[in-house]
Formats: sequence, C-alpha cells, structure tokens
Amino acid sequence: MAAARRMIEPAPFYGELFARERARLPGHGRSELERVREEAFARFVALGLPTQKAEVWKYSPIARFANREMVVAEAAVPRLEDVSAWFGGGPATRRLIFANGHLVPALSHVGGLPEGVRVTGLVRAIEEWPEKVAEALAGCDPECSFTQLNTALARSGAWIEIADGVRLDEPLQLLFVHEGGESAAMTHPRILLRLGRGARLHLIETHAGTGDGHCFVNLVCQMALAPEAELTLDRLELGAAGTTLLSRTLVELAAGARIRQTAVALGGGFLRNETEVRLGGRGGEAILNGLCMPRGEEHADTLVRIHHEAEDCHSDQFFKGVVEDRARAVFAGKIIVHRGAQKTNAYQANDNLLLSDRAEVDSKPELEIYADDVKCSHGATCGDLDEGALFYLRARGLPREVAASLLVYAFANEVIERMADERLRALTRRAVLDRVPGGAALEAEGLL
Amino acid sequence: MLRIEGLRVAVEGKRILDGVDLEIAAGETHAVMGPNGSGKSTLAHVLAGREGYEVEDGRITFMGEDLLAMEPEERAAAGLFLAMQYPVEIPGVSNMYFLRQAINAVRKARGEPEIAAGAFMKMLREKAKLVGVPEELLRRDLNTDFSGGEKKRNEILQLAMLEPRLAILDETDSGLDIDALKAVAGAVNGLRTPERAFLVITHYQRLLEYIVPDRVHVMVRGRIRRSGGRELALELEQRGYEQFAAEAA
Repeated sequence: MAAARRMIEPAPFYGELFARERARLPGHGRSELERVREEAFARFVALGLPTQKAEVWKYSPIARFANREMVVAEAAVPRLEDVSAWFGGGPATRRLIFANGHLVPALSHVGGLPEGVRVTGLVRAIEEWPEKVAEALAGCDPECSFTQLNTALARSGAWIEIADGVRLDEPLQLLFVHEGGESAAMTHPRILLRLGRGARLHLIETHAGTGDGHCFVNLVCQMALAPEAELTLDRLELGAAGTTLLSRTLVELAAGARIRQTAVALGGGFLRNETEVRLGGRGGEAILNGLCMPRGEEHADTLVRIHHEAEDCHSDQFFKGVVEDRARAVFAGKIIVHRGAQKTNAYQANDNLLLSDRAEVDSKPELEIYADDVKCSHGATCGDLDEGALFYLRARGLPREVAASLLVYAFANEVIERMADERLRALTRRAVLDRVPGGAALEAEGLL
Repeated sequence: MLRIEGLRVAVEGKRILDGVDLEIAAGETHAVMGPNGSGKSTLAHVLAGREGYEVEDGRITFMGEDLLAMEPEERAAAGLFLAMQYPVEIPGVSNMYFLRQAINAVRKARGEPEIAAGAFMKMLREKAKLVGVPEELLRRDLNTDFSGGEKKRNEILQLAMLEPRLAILDETDSGLDIDALKAVAGAVNGLRTPERAFLVITHYQRLLEYIVPDRVHVMVRGRIRRSGGRELALELEQRGYEQFAAEAA
C-alpha cells in the first residue's frame, strides 16, 4: 500500500504506554468504550505517524515531535491567579479549566446554566452516558493517526450539548494551561460538542504554555451542528517554546447551520491547527479567520479543508501570517466542491508578511471543484512591509522599529477584530504588542 | 532655516535633480512649480528622507544641521514636515491614536515629556476645528476610506498638531475640487506664522491664488530655472512651462 511507505511506525513506547495506561483511562471496564479505544489504537499503529512525504505534512516534521519518549502529563493544580490572566468573556462566563490536560474542578465553573445546556468534563460524561461517548468516538476520522491516538488515550476533555432552540448568550470558555515537564508530557484532550436545531453557542478556547518544559498536546474537537444552529468559536494559542500543539477541529454542519471561527496562534514551538468542515446541508455557512505570528525558531502550520457537499453553501477563509527571524508559517487550504453542490460560494485568502530573510512561508491554496455552477476564488500573497507606509509613519516621527511594529499590528488586527469576544480581542492585541520589537513603545491604550 | 546647495539626486542611476539651489528663511512661503517629471516631488521626498534616492552631490542644511545625515524620524523631530501627495491608509489604527503616537514620538526625541491625555484631546479638538476636520474623522482608521479631500485635510491637521518649523506641501492641491482647495488653503493660511516656513510644491498656479507665496521657483528638468515673486506664477499660467523647457535644452 502506497500510504504505508509514507508513514513511520510509532515507537514501541506508544504500545507500552497504551498497555500500561488503558486500565487507568476513564471508561475502563465499559466494554463498548474499551473496544472503541482498542480499535483506535490498532488503527493508529496501522496508520503510523506521518512523515514529510505525506502531502499534508510536507513542511512540518511532526514525527520529530511525536515519535519520541514521552510521559503522560501529571495533573497539576494551578491557582486562580495563575489562570485568570487568560479569562475571556465576562463575569457570567462559565469555564472549564484544564491543567496539563486534566480538568481542574476547583477552578472550573459550569453551574447554573439554563435548561437544555449540558457542559461537563469528559470523565463525568463517560461515567454518566458511556454509550453516547463511545458512539461519538467510534469510527471518527479514520484516516488521521493523531485522532486515533487521541481516541485511544483521551482521559479528559469536555462534553458540550445544547438542546434544540436553546441559545446561550454568555460565552463558554475552555482554558488549557500547559505546564510542560522535564521529559515531554503528553495529553490528548477530546472536546465533543453538539448543537441542537437552532441552538446557539459562543465558545472561547484558549491555550497558554507556561514554564520551560516540553509538552505535546494532541487535541481533537468534534462538533456537530443541527440545522440552523450557530457556533462562534474564538481561539487563542499562547504557547511557550516547548509547546507542541496539534489541534484538530472537525465540524459537521447541517442545513442552514453556521460556524464563525477566529483562531490566533501567538506562540508555541510547534503549532499545527487543522480545521475540517463539512457543509452537509443546504444553506450552511463556514467563516474561518486565522492569524499566526511565529518568531525565533517557531513553526506554525495551518491546515484547512472545506467540503461543500450540499447546494447553496458559503465558505470564507481569511488567514494571515507574520513570520520573523528563522520561523516558518505553513498554510494549506483546500476547498472541495462535491458533485451536486451547486450555487456554492467559496473564498480563500492567505496573506503573509515575511519580516526576515531567514523566515519562510509556505502557502498552498487549492480548489477541487466537481460542480459547474459555483463561485470560488483563492489568493495568496507574501511580502515585506509596505515601504511607502513605513516612510509615512517615520516622516511623522515614529522610529523605524515602532513604525514597523505599528504596521504589523494593523496587519494582524484585521484578523483579531473578527474575534467575537471583546476581552479576548484585548488579550490578543496585548500579546501581539508583546511580540513585536517596537510594541513596548506603542501605547496600548487606544489599540486594545 | 533651510539651505539646499548643488543638490544632485538620482533614482536607479537616472539623474532627477541636477543641481538644485534653494534657500528658505523662517516665516517665508516658497512655491516650487514645474511640469510633471521635473523633479518637484523628488525634492520633497529627499528633504523628508525617503529611501530609494541616491544623493550624488550637494548638501542640505536645516536649522544649521546636516539634513541628509538624519533619519526621517529625526527630521520630523527637528521640525520638518511633509504633507504627502498620497497619504497612506492604515486600517486598524485610529487617526486619533496615530496623532498621539506621532506627537509623543517627536516630543520624546526632543527630550520633552509626553502630552497628557486631556491636553492632547483639547489640542486636537482645537486644531481639528481650525483646519475643518470633523470629529468623526478623528475616530476613523487612519486615512482609511477617506475621500481625496479628507486625506489632504487630514495631512493639514497633522501639520497643525506637530507644529513644524518647515512644512512642505507636496501637490496638496492634486485631486481637489475648488471648494476643497479653498478650504485646505484657508487651513494652511491659518497656520502661517512669522517663525514657520512653507515650501509649496505644485503643478498649477491655482493653489497659489489662495496660498500666496513670497517666492516662486520654476523647476524644469531637475533644476530651478528661474525664481521670482508671485507674478512669476501668473506668467507661467499664461505662457506655460515650454519657454523654460526650451531654455533648459
């Protein structure tokens, strides 16, 4: 089989780990879930880990990060003041807080939600309705080895379910703090989200890397939206140098359902953000915005797959990258218009600022169209800061570095302003100013 | 205040300015007129320090300092201001925020304290009123989706806020209808003081009916071919640039 040549076998360490850990995993002893985990692990071994010969991993040497000795991350108990800096939303915002992949009940608060809204940690969900969890995990994403690994080893995460017609106005936040350890510590959180017909949710997902240690986070989010449901998802990743974060978000949209996602990656040694959306019913809409700003030796990789499977759907991708030093940004976005998906509108833009001679951007927009009545477009740009704009600002007295930073901020802000949550926007803008060399000289007030 | 001597400038090996001499004293308003491609805008850019110009010969002193040795931001701090022909749009940065950053950057470079928020707002309101910039324009993103007239007026507002010693207006009249032109010229006239000098660069005599210069210089093919009083502008209006082109040839 051709695919087999493109994969390397997972280190024996994974087999030993699974054999050792399975008895400690939530749902152990529940025959259906156990079977799903075993199958997933077998599938993971069969698929192996992708090498750079696999097209979607061409620019990202994931095996280097994933195929090595790791420990299972130990639970950590952060204090409120360790995590509150990353709070989004407002005073009534409910949160699930995870430290090293484990839910921290003492800091999490999801009580008092309206009827029809069910938000709970994965462990509790497995205790209460194991069959439903097993059903959600079974057979999910069979071609992705990291999803299989997650299914086999997931020991925490969230179950979010909103009944038909229920609209949650306050945002809900999932806050992950990744401490890292001396040896690389791995976690496999799993988020399962279901929105009923006409339901509405604003979800905030934040990742913060702390400390100098290494961690490997293999996150999978499975989201299913019933007809006319609406999901707004704001995601902010503030990883540390030792953070390896794989985030795979799978979204299924029924007729008239809509997702609006804005994902900003502002740090992390190795970040891979995958979003795969299926527009399965007429009139669905997927708006995906993204920004990454790798610097130093960081690597930020974005993969988007949009499947237009039904008529009259709309998708719009707006992704930007700012790449400094020896960092690398990768963008691969594909729009697949399936046969019969007439009246499709699908757009994609990927604009990059390359701020150093040693930085690299790899941008690969792709269209695959099997219908004839569609409107699709894509475009990618990569360039330096505009010399005319730089001169304009300097001629008004701003030193070069400050002027350049203001232009980078303005470039990045076109994505940030699409985040729905005001507090997260401010947090993100502050993080951008912290990342640009002249940011300290720019007054934050007036920009945040 | 400003002295240009024997300035020769090339762009990508092609000589654009071919020996420019010009002297401007405090309180004076000079106009440089010339046909397209004569080198007027190059002169403005070289004075403000834009990259991409090779100064082959000559010198420029501004307030006794060697201007060519200074970075654009240092020139701004020294009191030189260029109102641009094509102001740049910067979405995501409000006009007001930008003005405050610019003022504080200049103050910092001069070793002065930053302007307090209240004092800044008071000054901004006054100057905006003076140059006819509506409040709404202050809150919008810098030059973004401004009309041609709004952009030019906003340049004059920046001029008013930064209070330079020498203000260069690079084709500020281009793209303006007569009403906008009158308004911008009126704003500029309101900023004329005995200490402040202006260098007005224009293709047409029309602007000089409203901003009346002390001296007019005709630039053709990279050199000032004749200087005189404002009557020189009127002569140009009647006879055109051709006579000078013939003299230059």
